[in-house]
Amino acid sequence: MSSQTFKILVTGPFAAGKTSMIQSVSQTQVVSTDVLTTGGESEVKSHTTVAMDFGTYALEGDDTRLLLFGTPGQARFRFMTNILKGDVDVVAFVIDGEATDTHAAAGVELRALLRELRVPAVIAVNRCSDETVANRLARSLGALDGEPAVPCQLIDPDSGREVVVEILLTLLSSMESTKAEVA
Amino acid sequence: MVAPDPVAVLDELSNTVAGAYGAILASVDGFSIARSSSVVNQASHSAMLAAAVGLSHQLVAMGGGRELRQLVVEHDTGLLLIWPIGSQRVLAVLTAATVDQRHLREFVQGQAQWLSGDDS
Repeated sequence: MSSQTFKILVTGPFAAGKTSMIQSVSQTQVVSTDVLTTGGESEVKSHTTVAMDFGTYALEGDDTRLLLFGTPGQARFRFMTNILKGDVDVVAFVIDGEATDTHAAAGVELRALLRELRVPAVIAVNRCSDETVANRLARSLGALDGEPAVPCQLIDPDSGREVVVEILLTLLSSMESTKAEVA
Repeated sequence: MVAPDPVAVLDELSNTVAGAYGAILASVDGFSIARSSSVVNQASHSAMLAAAVGLSHQLVAMGGGRELRQLVVEHDTGLLLIWPIGSQRVLAVLTAATVDQRHLREFVQGQAQWLSGDDS
């Protein structure tokens, strides 16, 4: 894996932790389009992404670079996901493990996205510290058995980096599968 | 003084500024607040305006600026002019390519205080 740039789509429901993840792991200044929330959403959080977040992550001593494109979470901004999802290598699907009311719709979204993109996914289960719980939630959302679920606390950069490690492992595995298919 | 109904302001804009044929007022986080009677109600329009303005704020920084004043989308049949209104709202006006932009800006500036919602 050298001299390669990969596009990672960081997506998931509103207030799941997508922006937090990108902000916690990006090694370059994050392009953020956060604005103050209004109406009922302001009771959930004070700011929300309206267009995209963008951050980068590079492996030390390697030319491998991840470009992290974060989407807004609300359905009214779905057109941004449609814009950003082109040529994606891995989907990082962020879900708040405690926001159970978002899980059903998130599952529908995840399955539709993966069916369309046909790329591997990593499920980042935010506000969760139990691997078994994270795994169970990921499967209930429709993630395949081989798609890793990472319990994480995305306001913590170390925890965010664990998700990035899973993304890198997933990329590696995907590349190896592709090579094997070609051979 | 009672703040005018934003729909009335947007209708007046569309009816009195030659070349302007529709206007949409949205929140910066993509909710529809008002639209002129001539514009079809479509929820995604407000979200798209919020996204465009959100991204444009970043493009302003890329250009070395600090304040987004206007966003112009020029297309084959006219213009879409977008302004941040106060800190919480966005106004978009659909116009013909021939619209007197200076006149339009003056109208908008004159109504910005009402449209911003800061006094409501």
